[in-house]
Amino acid sequence: MAEPIFLIKKSDLDAGCVRRVECGGQALAVYNLGGCFYATQDGCTHATASLSEGEIIDDDCIACPVHDGTFHIPSGQAMSFPCEHALRTFKVIEQGDEVLVDLEQEADEAADAI
Amino acid sequence: MCNANDTQPRLKRRPVGRSVEHLEQLMDLEHGRMSRDVFWDRDIYEQELERIFARCWLFVAHESQIPKAGDYVSTYMGEDNVLIVRQKDGSVRGFLNTCPHRGNKVCFADLGNARQFVCNYHGWAFGIDGALKGMHASSAYEESGLDKSAHGLHPVAQIDSYRGLIFATLDPQAPSLAEYLGDFRYYLDAIFDMDEGGTEFIGGCVKSVIQCNWKFASENFVGDILHAGWTHDSGAKAMVGGPVAEVHKFPEQSYHVNFNGHGWEFNQDIVGNAATLGDKEIMKYLYVLQPKVAERLGELRSKMIGAISSCTLFPNSSFLPGQNTFRTWHPRGPGAIELHTWTFVNRNAPQAVKDAWRKGTMMTFSPSGVFEMDDGENWEYSTRTNSGFVTRQQDLYLGLGHETRLTDTGLPGNVYRGQINEANQRAFYQRWFDLMEAPSWGCVPQRDVATMEVKA
Repeated sequence: MAEPIFLIKKSDLDAGCVRRVECGGQALAVYNLGGCFYATQDGCTHATASLSEGEIIDDDCIACPVHDGTFHIPSGQAMSFPCEHALRTFKVIEQGDEVLVDLEQEADEAADAI
Repeated sequence: MCNANDTQPRLKRRPVGRSVEHLEQLMDLEHGRMSRDVFWDRDIYEQELERIFARCWLFVAHESQIPKAGDYVSTYMGEDNVLIVRQKDGSVRGFLNTCPHRGNKVCFADLGNARQFVCNYHGWAFGIDGALKGMHASSAYEESGLDKSAHGLHPVAQIDSYRGLIFATLDPQAPSLAEYLGDFRYYLDAIFDMDEGGTEFIGGCVKSVIQCNWKFASENFVGDILHAGWTHDSGAKAMVGGPVAEVHKFPEQSYHVNFNGHGWEFNQDIVGNAATLGDKEIMKYLYVLQPKVAERLGELRSKMIGAISSCTLFPNSSFLPGQNTFRTWHPRGPGAIELHTWTFVNRNAPQAVKDAWRKGTMMTFSPSGVFEMDDGENWEYSTRTNSGFVTRQQDLYLGLGHETRLTDTGLPGNVYRGQINEANQRAFYQRWFDLMEAPSWGCVPQRDVATMEVKA
């Protein structure tokens, strides 16, 4: 476990929204799904694309803005063509109004999926 | 929502082709004569694609078809397939429906909502703003140094709307839509602004193919009520239990009006067209609405709301007040059209009245409708007879209503006494000829001078 790093203030990301955050030398997509926060790699695993420019659909999936392939946000799993490889997920820690991330650990849901 | 592309167009056009020679010999409108070649000749048709359809403002969608961001319709400008897409900022943009990589179509649906358009061939993906966002195997392109910003979908040159009707042009030099419609907007308001809620399209698009030249359809709606009393007599008897009104007997109560080649023939019987749908609810709705329209637009226009009438917006979109069918005659070579039709209604009309209109347009002006079947048969043979080499050397007559011009009505545009007339048809072909002869918009004679404001 690494030292948690500050990502974003909860009040700065509305429910149903996603935003790109640079953190520890990498680009993360940070999501607010109905008050629960998640973080994945921002780059699509299929082609060059920033997932944070995509749209959250079906409650908890991110649709890539380029080819409309989808990933399950909590687990990072690829859900539809042309995406085949899962996203790297990150463990998010909520502390008061702050959202922190542990860059060395997967999200709990991703660990469960494996 | 006027949206002109001020950036340099990427579309490289061949220098304007040589005009078909001696077009002036094909028309003698002053004497009501015209050649049949304009309905048959392939070179003339190719020149129409360039000088009419790649130049004029063409109807592409109704605002109500694409209310939300990402909503789109696929339609045609001449034979060019275009996507008309609502943007996130509420504006509307249009693009050629073709991938700039290897040319495949990027959208195969007629309408829908999209987050992006992805080409089936190599996965080039475009945002709803037309920008190239990425592609399959994108790293290979990145190594080749592809500039994504230079390879978006080809935009239409200009797009704008009037009273809910969205038009686009593929010519950056075209005048504004307001100038193109000019004083004809005065008459358009009688239908598309008769009620404060404006209009909407309901139901889907009904498509059919008719083996006729596109101009036979356009010129019919631009001014030909004459045919109704003969062609549609049996249809009218079936629908309303009586013949078509003998409109030729009351010329002092009806008009031909035109501007820039757009034309409208109408009388002032309020519900004459609507009556052919055989639905009392529609009649009652119009009778109750008419005095309110009179307050809004004045007496004359209030009597046009469902009257015996028809209209064509140059070159190839038409509608019928009262019967509430709106349609575009897409050209498919000199001898065929693909007809796309919709039902339009006042947005604030009761649902039952809207439903009655949708049913009514199906019964009258759909491929199986009692009136459209009659028209299609006539136009097909008006076209097909010209396959005869000697036949097509013979002139056609277009001289009805000479000396009927009125100059004291106070109405905008060119006004003619009596709707049994061919003044609008002559104005339509005059506009056609002017555009066909002109190498660019700047060379098109401005015969009609607008009195209404044309600034955006």
